[in-house]
Amino acid sequence: MTKFPSSELRNFAEQCQSFGPVEMLPQSDSLVAVVNCPSEVLKSLAEFLVHSLQYNFGSLVVEAPPNQWKLIYLFYGRENPSLVQLWVYLKSDHPRVDSISDKIHSADWHERQAEDLFGLVFTGHPRLGDFVLHEEWPEGVNPMCTGFSATHPVKEQVVDPAWRPARILETPGAFLMPIGPVYADYYESAQFFLETVGEDVVRMIPRFFFKYRGVEKLAEGQPWQRVLLMAERFSGTSAIAHSTALCAALEQIYQIQPPPRALGLRLILAEIERIRHHFAVLSDICHASGMSVPSAQMDILEEQALRLSGQCAGHRYLYGWVTLGGLNRDMTLTALDTIARETQLLAKASATIHSALQFTSSFLDRFEGVGAISAAGARELALVGPIARASGVRTDLRLMLPYGPYAQDTGFLAMTEPLEQEGDGYARIRVLFAEIQQSVKLIDATVAALPTGPVRVEAGGVRGQSAFGWAEAPNGAAFHYVRLDAQGCVQRYQIATPSFANWHGFHIAAENFAFQDFPIMMASFGLSIAESDR
Amino acid sequence: MFGWFVKGATSRVRTTRYPAHDETAPGVTPGRPVETTCDNELLAIGLAATCPTGAIKPAAFKTTADISRCVHCMACTRGENTMSWQADYRWAKWVGDNARRAARHRPFRKSLHIRVVDTGSCDAVLSEIKQLVKPYYNMHRLGFFITPTPRHADVLMVAGPVTSQMRLALLKTYAAMPEPKWVMAVGNCAISGCVFAPSFIANGSVAGVIPLDVQVPGCPPPPLAILHGLLLLTGREAEMPPVDQPLGGTP
Amino acid sequence: MTILPALFFLAMIALCVTGATLSACVAQHRIGPLLAVTGPLASLMILACATCVLITRQPMQIDLWHLPLLGLLRLRLDSVSALFVLALGISFLPAYLFSKSYMNRYPAHYNIRGFGIFFHLLLMACTLVLAAGDVVTFLFTWRLMSALATFPITLEHRQDEHRRAGYIFLAMNEAGIILATVGLLLMTAWAAGHIGFAALHQAMEHIPDGWRWAIFLIIFAGFSVKAGLVPVSSWLPRAHPVAPANMSAVLSGCMLNFGIYGIIRFDAIIMAPITAGPGLVVLAIGGLSALLGILYATTDNDLKRMLAHSSIENLGIVAVDVGAGMVFDAYHMPTIAAIAWVVAIYQMINHSAYKTLLFLGAGAIDHGTGTRDMNRLGGLLKRMPVTAVLFLVGALAISAMPPFNGFVSEWLTLQTILRSTELASRFSRVVFALCGASLALTAALSVTCFVKTFAMSFLGLPRSDTVRTAMESPPSMRLAMGILAVGCIALGLGATWMVPLVDRAMTPLTHQLAANALVPPFFTLQHGNAQFSRGFLTSFGKIGADVGSAVIPARSLVVLHQGQAANPVVYAMSTFYIAAVLIGIMLIVYLLVRLTTRRRVVRVGEPWAGGLRRLWPDMSYSATGFSNPVRVIFKSIFSPAQREDSQVAVAGHFRTAIRKPPRDTYIVDRLFLLPLVAGVKLLAGLMARLHRPAVVNAYAAWVFIVLLFVLVMNRLF
Repeated sequence: MTKFPSSELRNFAEQCQSFGPVEMLPQSDSLVAVVNCPSEVLKSLAEFLVHSLQYNFGSLVVEAPPNQWKLIYLFYGRENPSLVQLWVYLKSDHPRVDSISDKIHSADWHERQAEDLFGLVFTGHPRLGDFVLHEEWPEGVNPMCTGFSATHPVKEQVVDPAWRPARILETPGAFLMPIGPVYADYYESAQFFLETVGEDVVRMIPRFFFKYRGVEKLAEGQPWQRVLLMAERFSGTSAIAHSTALCAALEQIYQIQPPPRALGLRLILAEIERIRHHFAVLSDICHASGMSVPSAQMDILEEQALRLSGQCAGHRYLYGWVTLGGLNRDMTLTALDTIARETQLLAKASATIHSALQFTSSFLDRFEGVGAISAAGARELALVGPIARASGVRTDLRLMLPYGPYAQDTGFLAMTEPLEQEGDGYARIRVLFAEIQQSVKLIDATVAALPTGPVRVEAGGVRGQSAFGWAEAPNGAAFHYVRLDAQGCVQRYQIATPSFANWHGFHIAAENFAFQDFPIMMASFGLSIAESDR
Repeated sequence: MFGWFVKGATSRVRTTRYPAHDETAPGVTPGRPVETTCDNELLAIGLAATCPTGAIKPAAFKTTADISRCVHCMACTRGENTMSWQADYRWAKWVGDNARRAARHRPFRKSLHIRVVDTGSCDAVLSEIKQLVKPYYNMHRLGFFITPTPRHADVLMVAGPVTSQMRLALLKTYAAMPEPKWVMAVGNCAISGCVFAPSFIANGSVAGVIPLDVQVPGCPPPPLAILHGLLLLTGREAEMPPVDQPLGGTP
Repeated sequence: MTILPALFFLAMIALCVTGATLSACVAQHRIGPLLAVTGPLASLMILACATCVLITRQPMQIDLWHLPLLGLLRLRLDSVSALFVLALGISFLPAYLFSKSYMNRYPAHYNIRGFGIFFHLLLMACTLVLAAGDVVTFLFTWRLMSALATFPITLEHRQDEHRRAGYIFLAMNEAGIILATVGLLLMTAWAAGHIGFAALHQAMEHIPDGWRWAIFLIIFAGFSVKAGLVPVSSWLPRAHPVAPANMSAVLSGCMLNFGIYGIIRFDAIIMAPITAGPGLVVLAIGGLSALLGILYATTDNDLKRMLAHSSIENLGIVAVDVGAGMVFDAYHMPTIAAIAWVVAIYQMINHSAYKTLLFLGAGAIDHGTGTRDMNRLGGLLKRMPVTAVLFLVGALAISAMPPFNGFVSEWLTLQTILRSTELASRFSRVVFALCGASLALTAALSVTCFVKTFAMSFLGLPRSDTVRTAMESPPSMRLAMGILAVGCIALGLGATWMVPLVDRAMTPLTHQLAANALVPPFFTLQHGNAQFSRGFLTSFGKIGADVGSAVIPARSLVVLHQGQAANPVVYAMSTFYIAAVLIGIMLIVYLLVRLTTRRRVVRVGEPWAGGLRRLWPDMSYSATGFSNPVRVIFKSIFSPAQREDSQVAVAGHFRTAIRKPPRDTYIVDRLFLLPLVAGVKLLAGLMARLHRPAVVNAYAAWVFIVLLFVLVMNRLF
């Protein structure tokens, strides 16, 4: 038990015993508690973690049999830097487990996803089915199960003519406004049903996974190099974050540590990515409220950030940099200087726009009080990233579970962490602007203190089996779970993305609103569907 | 509001001068591998093996690169033996049969209305398409417009590997377009499925679902390449101009 | 010649009685066809009777009995009554025809036989009310009519809602009759016991102001129940939807007119207006009724209840016209008063035509689909094309679209109200202005209302399965609606013929002709009308107003609203020209479209819905959604109290259902009926305390007090 420096984690380890035959596994270390948890104890233990110890539900990883089902419930601490994994084993012929989502709302979509993809049954979950796989997918075929071919196309079933999307608004004259999957201009494909009785929208029901590409299934059996290509490309606007998270997991399995220069460069790249992402979101926000000049100004900054990436990193979306053990290549001094200089300029320009927007009443009118999420709501749904921070909830993984370069951080992040309390559209805008400034300062400090040396260490053989890696993507916390075989081929890969977590919470913001506010709310969330759908 | 008016009016024009002049600003394109001579066949095979997606094919004393399979991982530029890297962007090209092309070439010469359909793309491709209507590329000046309804669209721009759950929507969008209509595949996922093919859930190429006319390779294709594709459709640009001087060095 | 109307009248009574007798004899399933034979014949008889009276301008008079104590009972159908009889015939004739196939929908356990008997007798009773020449006959026949109407309303008596609606109809009408009886008895008291209308009229000229007000208010209150004016309109939206369509058509198309008849007969003809006060009361109540009626009609989704609310609106407009006439008359502006009254009657006849059409249309929809809920209808245009077109005519007419009849009367109503600027009293002008504003809003909302009704019922996708398999209405229904649709168009295009006819018939009330002011004959006279200067005539000639008159020998094709010398602004309108221009434009557009798209290949595809698998019916705008903006804007009228949505959730956060509270209470119920009922209950509770069976002394004391009261009263008077 002395393994845990964190007092909460030690407490937890002691308290675990009171719930039943719970066993602390040797995989635990100073940061991670791995607990073998019988399925009967799961619910009470998870509830204790989330409601008493202030943990967030992070991910539900399922390992399909041949031998037995293994479910890993991942929790991460909001208050203390630690991870808890609850391992639940089920007999291969008995794919049933109690749903925890009636107590832990944030587990809802994770369970639905596992039900669709693995055919696991979560008893007590009120709303299973029609989630990842839509109505044309053949009944009873679970693509993530072993034995299902990742490359062989599936014969679609004939859709039952009586099939229709669910509705929950029961009042005479209520109707749905369908949006999508192909809707305005160049937005990503998703479907939103706005339930309304005219004028005001009572409730929004989203349907996602139109873009489901099955990244996790495609990864199975592939060498990690190939999986890394997918991790970069499934959500192209957060390529660095997801490749860093995957490589962090791989590095734990190979038990290597990237050299300091590589870590510093990873930070620089990740922050450039964040800046560009925030510029794009802010541009969309201005565009949604009809502010064409501010929108165009943000567009200019976004393209400048893209060109900066293209010029200094060779790719506008920073593909091809992060790899196992560090980076694929080094960055020249000139390039680093350019980055430091240019990002300063971008920060200055964005600060000017921010201060001008603060005095544009027609802009503020559209965002103040729109799509508000309370801190309690954000905690209940385990929201992450700028959206949670705008509601006053600290969820920055760079601070909470410092990884890679951020592990050396000496309080700068905590000091400059942007937190707002209102949780409305305007609070989210302020958080985005503040994060841009924060990122630029980080880049500046890192460039100045960047050590020299190699940017990559060679990996030896595979030492471990599976690991979690994580990163704070522009949208929030991303967790990658990977299990390798001895040859370095991926056996199981699972991604929990920030957009997935936040889309789940979108409905509490999109409730009882005026129809014309819908694009505004969408824009102020700034989420990616590619990232959520995988 | 007046402040914004002043801000807008006093901002410098940043729009690229392409297609009248080449765009030479750094960072507008990731570039692409081009045909490279090798000392011997063994070296060529070795070079081709560095490519994780099979975009590089060995031949006698040279390697050829297929841009429509390249994912810009730049693995081929890191070893002792490297591919030549061309930092251009005019790489859109016609596909499909020539008769179809000839029949379709006449109706539009100036203006196009475009419907974008995302069939499982990464955000980056859409982001680059978005750049087209933004100040730096501003395709409106060329008469190209994005339209929200396929009823008004001349061109269907498809991004992503055509997931099976989006196939119906894609077919419906195509059916809703009036004749004459063109289809443009943007990004390698739309052309070949890229890293997401072969797959149980993605068709892997637009051409397998609806007739394809122009493809714009790239992962993601830079805005200028997409613009080149549109100009190609209207006959205002030629296909794959001969290689002229490189615009920048290898990164 | 004078015997002819009486013959027609007696023939009608004979036919009605025969029909009722046959209904009692023939098999249940023959009742419908029987109604469609004897009914229309009887209706034709009274139409003939009314036409004779209108043409000859000789009232039909039949003396009945000379009762001791009361005096002579007499039937007297004068030209004013004849106009109402005309409306009666317009409404009853198609309603009877409609019954042929419509009655088949009722299962055997409902008493269709009874319906046949009462429906036959109802026409007779209605005509008798209009033909009553004295107070006793009037009250007796009125009672008979109300009682006879109750049975057809509660045909489907097995349903609670229907029974309750029947009770409310009966109770409110009974209250109205009691009030009217009190008022009429007070009148007879002032006429020294004479019961003839002529005698009453003479007696009323010398009545003191206080009594005049009292009698007016009592009679007006009594008759507004029948006319369905606010605040005594609660029975309308309840009784109309539950009655069979043919009955509700009659109920709305002609029974409501009786309220107006009562007001005109007793408050305007017998008690000629001397002060503006009574007129202003009628005007204000009418304006309020119109606005509230259309507000509720716009937001209601039950076809028939919507039409019932719309009836309140239309009768409100009629009341506005009547009230305006009374005010103008009191201010000694007889021409404008006459115009107002003529417009009132014209609006009423129009309402009879299009409202009967719409109610029959609603019945046809109900018959074809089994529902009247607009939220469940949709797409009927393809399934019931003829019904749809006929309903459209009715909807256009009621939303006052030119060249239909509703436009004529609504245009004239607004023009008449504009003339209030010439009134001397500022207070009257303010009341008129407010009323005009309310009518303008009403006119706009009624377009919204019927756009919604037609669009939600006939356009878009079918919103329920029964609608998807709906069949076109049977020929008898289409014929019935067709007659009315033709009537609506004829009353619109033939306004210049109809107005002089109505005008002439209204002379017992107006004492002078307004036709010269409304449809002056100057285009048909060789040398122009002496009222108009030559310059004026030529300027009208220049814009082509006499082109049509050269072709069609009409009195004039222009309905004119002419100012006075001090205010020579002239408003003119001609439905005939509008129709000609509209047809011309549509023809040109059609030809142009045909010409330009001649070579075009038309490809029919499914509607674009964002790549959705298919557009489900509940993904199109619902009727509730369409009218929700009105609901939001007039929130304070519809629901003053905020109510919470009820939510059903599993584990506190999985919401499985959100339920919105049901419809709010009708404002008239909320502000008038329910407090009244509560008050009466309170009073009854207090009175009940007197009922202490144990205390005999108390009873004795009460009997004594009452006796004392009667004796004192007897002594005093």
